[in-house]
Parts: sequence; C-alpha cells; structure tokens
Amino acid sequence: MKKRVLALIMSTTMVAAALAGCGSSEKAETPAADSAATTETKTEAKADAPAADAATEEVKDYGTGEIKVWVAENVQTFTETKIKEFQDANPEYAGYAVTVEPVGEGDAASNMITDVAGGADIFGFAQDQLARLVSAGALSPVVGDNATFVNEQNDAGAASAATMAGTVFAYPLTSDNGYFLYYDKSVVTDPTSLDKIVADCEAAGKSFYMEINSAWYQPAFFFGTGCTLTYDTDDMGNFTTCNIDYASDNGVKALKAMINLHKSSAFVNGSSLSAATNVGAIVDGTWDSGAAKELFGDNYACAKLPTFNVDGTDYQFSGFGGFKLMGIKPQTDANKLAVCHAIVKHLSSEEVQLARYNEVGWGPSNVAVQQSDAVKADEALSALAEQLAFTIPQGQYPNDYWALGTSLGDSVIAGEYDNASDEELMKVLEDFQATCQSYAQ
Amino acid sequence: MAKEASMKRRRAIGNAVTYAILIIISIVWLFPFVCLIIQSFRSYITEFGGMVNYLIPKEFSLDSYKFLFSEESQFVKWYGNTLTIAAFVAVFQTIIVICVSYALSRMRFKGRRALMNFWLVLGMFPGFLTMICLYFLLKELGLTQQGAIPGLILISVASSGMGYYVFKGYMDTIPKSLDEAARIDGATRAQILYIMMLPLAKPIVIYTALTAFMAPWCDYIFASYVSLGNSDTYNVAVAMYRWVKTNDYQGYFTRFCAGGILVAVPVTILFMCLQKYYVEGVTGGAVKG
Amino acid sequence: MKEMEKNSGIFKKAGSAIVNFFKWLSTDLKDIGTTFANGDWKTRVSFLIMGFGQLMHKQYARFVAFFGIEVLFIYYMATFGATYLKDITTLGTKKSGWNPDGTMAYGDNSFFILLFSLLSIIFIFAFIFLWRVNVRQNRDRQILLAQGKKLATTKQDLHSLLDENFDKTLLALPFTGVFVFTVLPIIFMICVAFTNYDYNHQSPTQLFTWVGIENFKNLFSIGATGFGKTFGKVLSWTLIWAFFATFLNYFLGMGVAMLINKKGIKFKKMWRTILVMTIAIPQFVSLLYVSKMFAADGLINSYLMKWGWIESAIPFWTDPTYAKVLVIILNCWVGIPYLMLIATGLLMNIPEDLYESARIDGANAWQMFRKITLPYMLFVTGPYLLTQFTGNLNNFNVIYLLSGGGPQSMELTGSAGNTDLLVTWLYKMTYNNTDYKMAAVIGIMVFIVTAVISLVVYNILPSVKDEEGFQ
Repeated sequence: MKKRVLALIMSTTMVAAALAGCGSSEKAETPAADSAATTETKTEAKADAPAADAATEEVKDYGTGEIKVWVAENVQTFTETKIKEFQDANPEYAGYAVTVEPVGEGDAASNMITDVAGGADIFGFAQDQLARLVSAGALSPVVGDNATFVNEQNDAGAASAATMAGTVFAYPLTSDNGYFLYYDKSVVTDPTSLDKIVADCEAAGKSFYMEINSAWYQPAFFFGTGCTLTYDTDDMGNFTTCNIDYASDNGVKALKAMINLHKSSAFVNGSSLSAATNVGAIVDGTWDSGAAKELFGDNYACAKLPTFNVDGTDYQFSGFGGFKLMGIKPQTDANKLAVCHAIVKHLSSEEVQLARYNEVGWGPSNVAVQQSDAVKADEALSALAEQLAFTIPQGQYPNDYWALGTSLGDSVIAGEYDNASDEELMKVLEDFQATCQSYAQ
Repeated sequence: MAKEASMKRRRAIGNAVTYAILIIISIVWLFPFVCLIIQSFRSYITEFGGMVNYLIPKEFSLDSYKFLFSEESQFVKWYGNTLTIAAFVAVFQTIIVICVSYALSRMRFKGRRALMNFWLVLGMFPGFLTMICLYFLLKELGLTQQGAIPGLILISVASSGMGYYVFKGYMDTIPKSLDEAARIDGATRAQILYIMMLPLAKPIVIYTALTAFMAPWCDYIFASYVSLGNSDTYNVAVAMYRWVKTNDYQGYFTRFCAGGILVAVPVTILFMCLQKYYVEGVTGGAVKG
Repeated sequence: MKEMEKNSGIFKKAGSAIVNFFKWLSTDLKDIGTTFANGDWKTRVSFLIMGFGQLMHKQYARFVAFFGIEVLFIYYMATFGATYLKDITTLGTKKSGWNPDGTMAYGDNSFFILLFSLLSIIFIFAFIFLWRVNVRQNRDRQILLAQGKKLATTKQDLHSLLDENFDKTLLALPFTGVFVFTVLPIIFMICVAFTNYDYNHQSPTQLFTWVGIENFKNLFSIGATGFGKTFGKVLSWTLIWAFFATFLNYFLGMGVAMLINKKGIKFKKMWRTILVMTIAIPQFVSLLYVSKMFAADGLINSYLMKWGWIESAIPFWTDPTYAKVLVIILNCWVGIPYLMLIATGLLMNIPEDLYESARIDGANAWQMFRKITLPYMLFVTGPYLLTQFTGNLNNFNVIYLLSGGGPQSMELTGSAGNTDLLVTWLYKMTYNNTDYKMAAVIGIMVFIVTAVISLVVYNILPSVKDEEGFQ
C-alpha cells in the first residue's frame, strides 16, 4: 500500500546494525591498544637487559595491558605513586598502564556488584562486603605463596577477615576499621563510664554521638553483654548457618541499654564528625581522627569505649574489629592476573603499609608495622588497640543483616520500645533472631 | 459615610494581614537559600568544613569557592559535563518533542490513537524499574563510564517522545484552518511545521527546552549508575552528593554549599529570564493535562 | 453496582477484542493466500525476496529499504540472535568456573541471553510485520496497474515523506527511541519478575533462571521474612502521601495565588519570583540542604535549643510520625510554587462579572470561593490533578533526598522505611540489595496501582477530554 513503513524500516535497520555490531565489539578493543604499548615495552626491556643479565635471573615477560584501580580519594595519589615506584623497580610489570581512580570503599563494592565486567581490576573495600563480592563473582581467590603472605604478614584478625570458607579472597590493608571514643577533655571528665559521659554532656549542653541504628555499632551493646552473632559461609559466599543468641536475658539487657541511651537528651544518633554539630563525645573510628583533632583542638582526646550499666551491672562495650581489604576481580588473562596480584601484594606489604600510615594515618594490618614506634605512639590507634581487646574480629554478614540492624536501631530511636516490658523486648529480639537465621540457608 | 469608612478600614486590615502572610511565606521560602549562601562563605580551613550548629560564620571567606576552582578538585570538569549534557538534552529533546507533537496534533494516521494510548500506559511504569537494564544496554553500546556523557544524553533524549502532552496541547489550540490555507498554497507538511507552526509555538518551544535543560542538573540516580566510578564523567549531582553522603569526605559540607550555589545561580538566572514562557507552559499543561 | 457494571464492561471489551483479533488474523492469512494465488511472478518472488516487485517497477527506495531489512535481519538472526534465542527456556546452563591458572572461565550470561532473546523476538515480529507490508504493497501494485494507474516513482516516494507521510518521518526516531530504551527494558524487567535474578544469581558469574510466580508469592506472604505486611504498609503510605502531596499543595497553592492576586496588593511580581526560586534551584541542592537543616543536630533544632524553646531535639527524621508529617509539609515548599503559577493564570480567566453579580447578591468571600472559584478550578484542572496524583505516587526525589525513606522499623522487612514509597523501596532493592527480582515485582505493582487509579479516576472526571473540541 503506502510506504508508511519506510521510515520505520530505516530506524529498525539502524538499531539492528548497531546491535549486530555489538557481539564482536568487546574483543576487538584490546589488540589495537596493545600494539602501541608493546613496542614501548620492548625498547624498555632492551634497556634493562644488561641489568637482568647481571642478576642472571630470567624475568618473565608479562606483556602489556591496562589495569584500573579504585581506591578512596584520600589515598589516590599515594596509591598512584606507590604503584609507579613498584613498576619502576620491577620493569617486568611496566608494560601495564595503571590508572587509579577515586572511588570510595562503599561505592566500589556496590559498583563491582552491579557490573563486574565494567568495574576496576583492583579495588579497595571494607571487609563487610566480602561475602557479597564473592557471591557476585567480583573477587578472584588468592592462592599459594600469596595466601601464605596474607596469613603470615598480617594479624590473625585481618587474615581471617580476608578469608572465606578457607579460601583467601583479598589482601588486608588496614586493621583500623573499629571504633572507640573521641571526646572533648573540657566536657567529659571520666571517659570510662557511659553514664558519666552522658551526664557530663547533658550538663555541658553537648551531645553524645553513637550510631546505634547501624548494625555495625549495635553489637557494641550485644557483644558487651555476652551475646554472639556470627555466620558461617561456604566458598561461594552463601551463608550456611547463623550462630546467634540475641533472644536471651543478655540480649534484653543490651537492648535496654540502647533504649536508656536513646532516652538521654544528650544522645544523637550518628558517627560522622563532619555531620555532627555539637560534639561532647563520639563513638567513631580512625578515619575521623584528622577531623576530630581539628574540631576539638586542644581538648582532643580519645579512649577505649566506656562501660555501660544495666540493672546495676557494668558491662564493657564490645564491638567489631574491622579491616580494609584490597581485592582483584576475576581475570581471563593469566599474565594480567599475575601482575594484579604482584601490585596488590606490594600495596599490602610492610613497606607500603608503613608509608601509608605515615602519609594518611591508616592503621596497619601488617604485624611488623603495628610494632613500629610511630604506630605505637599514635593516640587514636592506641585507643583502638585497647578497645580491640574487647571486640571480636568482624566475620562475614549477609547484606540483609545491615539493613535489619538499622531497622532495630531506628525502632529504638523512634521510641517504639520506650515503655516496653522485658517480655516485649524479648519478643522483639526473638523476631530479630529469627530474621537473622532466615538469611542463612 | 460611616459605612464606607469602615469598609475602607476593613480593606486596609485585610491588606495588612495579606502582606504579613506574604512576608512570612517569603521568609520561609527564602530561608534555606539564604542559609545555603551564608554557609558557603564559612572557611573549611580556618573554621570547620563540616556541619555546625550556628549559621553566621565567624569570618567570611571564599575558601570553599577557591577549592572548587583549584587543581585539587575536578569541579570545573563536572560542571562542564553537566552543562554539556543539559545543552544537548535541551536541543534534542525539544526537537523530538516538536516532531511527536506535530505528528500527533496535526496529522491523522492509522494507529495514532493506539500509539498515544500505548505511550500513556508505558508512562505508568516507574522509571527506576528499568535502570539496570538500561545500564547494560548502554554498556553494550560503549556509552558507560568513559562514554557516560553521550550515554546520559541518549537516555534522556531517547524516551522524551513520550513527554509530548504539554506541547501537543498547545499545538491543538492553534487553528487548523491556518494549516489548510497553507496547504492550498502548496506548502508541504514539513514546510508548514518549519515556517508556520514553530514561530507560533515559540513560548512552548522555550518552555520545553527550559525544562529539558533543568532536569540533568538534578540527575543523580541514573548518572551515578552510568558513570560507574569514573570521576571524569561525573555530573555535579553525582560528584557533590558524595560530599554529604559518604564518610570519605569529612568536612566537605561548606564546599557542598558553595558548589550548590554555583549550580543554582546560572539555572536560576536562566529561569528568571524565561519565567514568562515557563508560566505559559505549566499553565497550559495543567489545563490540557 | 456501578463499579460492577463497569468491570463487566471491561471484560466484555477484552473478550470481544480477543474474538476480533482472531477474526482479523484469519482474514489476514486468507488475504495473504489470495495474494499469492492471484499474484504475478514478481509478486510471488517478492514473498521470498522482499522488495523484488518494487525493484522491477523502478521503486528503488522501497526495494533498498525492504531488501536491506531482509538481509540485515537474516544476518542478525544467524550470527547473533539465534545464539541467544536458543537458550531462552533455561537462560543458560554453562556455569562459570576457575581455570587451573587462576583465571576465570565465564559461562553463559543469563542477563544477555534474556535481553537479546527478547530483542530477537521483537525483531522477528517486526520483520513479519514488514514482510506483510511488502506483500500488501505488491498486491496493491497489481491492482493499481490493472486499473491502468501509475505507480509512485522513487522521487515521489521520498517527497511524500516530507508531506503526506510526514508523520512517519517525524515519528521514526522518537518511536525507535522509546522502543529500544523504554519498551524493551520494561519487557525485560517484567520477565525478570519471573526469574530468580538477585545477589546470589548475578551475571556474569552466576546463572539465573525462570521460577514462575515464586516472587509474587513472596510479596504477598505474611511470614517473618515475607513481604506481605511491609508491602501493605508501604502501599498505604504511598497512597496517603500522594493524596496529601496532591491536595494540600493544590489548595494551599491556590490560596497563595489568591493572596498575591488580591486587589490592592503591590509587588505581585516580586512575591511570585520569590516562590518560584524553589523551582529553579536544583532539588538535589535545596532538598539535601533542607533535610540536613532538620537533622537532630541540625540548624533548626540547634537554634530552638539555644533559644530555650525546646529541651531536647525534636526527632524530625527519626520518629515515623514526625518524619511523615515533615515530608508532606516540606513537599508543600516544593509544590506550592507550581500550583501558584498555574492558579494565577487560571484565576484571571474567571469572568469578573460572575463575582460582581455574586457580590450584589450579598455573597461573602468564602461563599464566592466555594460557589465560583473552586468549581471552576476543579473542572479545568481535573486531568491535571490526576496526573499530579499519579506523579506523586512516584515522587522519588522528594522522599529520597529528604528522608531517604527512613526511619526503618522492625515492623518492616526488606529494608523498607516508614516514609518509603513503593518507588523508593524499589530503588533500594535495586541499588542497595541488588534484589532485582523483587524490585521487578514491586515495579509491576506500582504500575498496577497507577493504572487502576488512573482508570477509575479518569472515568469519574467531569471534564472527559475532548481533544478535537479545541481545534
């Protein structure tokens, strides 16, 4: 009839052509980029040849390629420099062009999970994401010598944090992902007891900050009264069993302590110094030490977490000791994989951990660096170290657990349990426990 | 006489009350912006860059603005990205909307009703539903990460045909007899569109372009997906959102305020200049649904 | 009763639509048969080689278009489409695994299998349609020639695209855009609702597959981990929110407009401009800032405490009731300016003599508002209110930037918060939890809710649209 469809046809053709082209586009990319880089390496290799001869060591040629790295913005330049130095010292890896992009640990993990193929080859992340990343297929295992390296050079907690069901999946960078107390010396007179801290803050018109609606801070109460909550996983990142006893007298006590804290007029839920406006004391981690020094000035002080009192008994706050890790995504090229491992291993090494501490103050996971004088003298890190004696190393928790913790905390803060009896609180914890258990299949 | 005087008094009181209400309303509406501006002048170096519980900084400084334009920050780049996206989206989206509106308003063809109904139904699906799928579609076309900017433009423009309602409503009010006269004179449909309709529809063309221009400044969700950690292709919303929402950026609050002002100023000026057309657009849109 | 009648009407319509479809199909097939039987050799060849008949009659543009499509389609299906389409029933069976050297051997990618299978299916339908058009063109050509008429030349064909077929030119690009970037993704996500695509089954490393209506069962299940109760709560809050966000803004906006337009009030333009600032300033700046202002330790609480008006901070964002009320109020801050602009324009359209005669009858301001202004406004803006309402059901920005959906509660599962709308919940599912299957299910629910409300309200609107009436 009419040629009404002509236009339609044209557009469809365009789309068809575009999509038909897609199938092969992925592979076509690399060779073109490579050829230019290859010649570069070859000349370089030649220049280095005498040196290599002298050492009479056969240097494996890893070829060329591109490696993308995601780290937090405040260590971007540091990481760049360290990788550059490493490549200069080890020319066999120099064929790889490394780009370091600023992507925070949280974003890195969620981006990797969204699209593994588009994500970075090497990325830093907080250890609570390990299971998610493994089950999304975003981490390649660390085996052989490298696994031994992880286990021998780092503290036991860090090594186990990087391990899932017996397989090591990442290299530890820090052991400082825990929390302790920063406080204002002029406000808080006795940092060893929660009641006193809160009373001091109330008297001074200041606030006490603790993020009790975070499933990461909450265990400070529950583990403090003697409860446990851990998960077992298989090597695919699936959770197999949940070990929990929150629905117990101890759990009720912990929940009561949370409710008591929330009832204080000085209490504010939060753990970010830069979002806190009127701080007397705050439960926070080493990453805020710079901001804390700036904010408190001469009154800056830190300490391990205090004790809290429920029904006449004192309990020491516990909590999680966490770690920052660096992982490598699954690769299809064995050479590139080897280079990635070499780089990450270097970034996790004693030398770089010490340098990183000196530069940005990240608390090391490397045992030797932990013993160095500089680290031992650090106020915040020693407060953390003191607190770590009371914490458990953070294992793997399902993603849903973190959301569930927020729900519990929000319910407390909203005052839903302000007048609840012990039985009602027990009911809440039973629900909580049942939900936690339902995450493990 | 007495009655008239009391009427006058009553009217005066009524006006005074109205003024009072309007002043209160104005304060409420302007308050956040004034706060935003004042806080952007607090120095993050000498004072504190995070949030504080007082409004007036101890001393005014331009540190936050200096930071945005310094080497340390890619703000200028992000700003440029957003401006590019906004400009292209404004142009192409307007063209697409004109095409669709003209076809649906002026031409009668088989399947016209069906098409309109179909698009109406499509519009009832929430946009975020398809985010992950769109991401991978764009990725297959190479328009994510490094290519995020053309990718975002493509996504914004591709489905903009469905937003023809206001424009078509306006075109419907232009008498059809004008078309017919032009056709008798031998003009083609295409010529009628270029020569006659577009000048007549100028206010609504500007309205369409303006709203299209303003949307990308606020696009956080999808833009953060598409750039996937590639900071070169962030837009301002994605970049600045991190400053207030992630722990990596302690003390960036004043810089967020300063950046917010820089984003708001040009958009606001443009908006104020074209306000007349905007009013015509929303009012027309409301009546025609 | 009336509802029942309406419903039965819909079923009857649907029934007759199906019957009509089959009737149409059978006549169409018959038509194809007769075209072949009565066709000359050119027409018959055209059944295989599309555009052949057109080529023989020098309609080159048509031939290029049809034949090009055919070649491309076959090429696409053979090299690309078929490889995906064959796995549509399983969505892939080959699992990924580690090679001995530590590298990854990727298996099937369920995501692309589903996506490209759907694309291929769409292409197949499009191709059949075009083939049918091709056949019809050949038949029409024979008829025209038999009647001794002339066929359109290539030049005429091309020219018509700017004239009588201008609509095809205009709509080609928008239509394609909507199809690829809206229709295809929506179909894809509807399919996802029937799979187990989530964090444990994520491409490219893991496979996902069809699970039937399992996810819908989950949404309506009432157990401890089931979504049933939460879905009910979120849905009802979504409706409450949309109601207040729409009507509160509507009446307050109208009120503000009337204040500004009041006789004897000066600086009308200034008042308007002040309000309109909120439209101009990007929401991610203004709303994020406002949300911080109301934090427990934000500016508002700090000053109230400093001035001694309150003892302890008002839990704006942490108490569910406060948070709900606050988002509704703050939404007024966002929405009133729009309504003010609209109402200003419309109020001026009301004939002044209506008020004049009312005044003579002794009506006061309130009576005039109720008897004249309101009925007029409601009549004129009826459809607008409807779109506002459905728009507010999906008002993502305001909720996301202000409260982030919080506070959460032990009463709610799936990380939903007290102020979460269905659409922000959907976003959380997608982004935080990568629980795509449930996100897809919720997305479908949002669609159903929106569609039902639109249908019902549309039918009771006084001003049912008469689009030709304006021309």
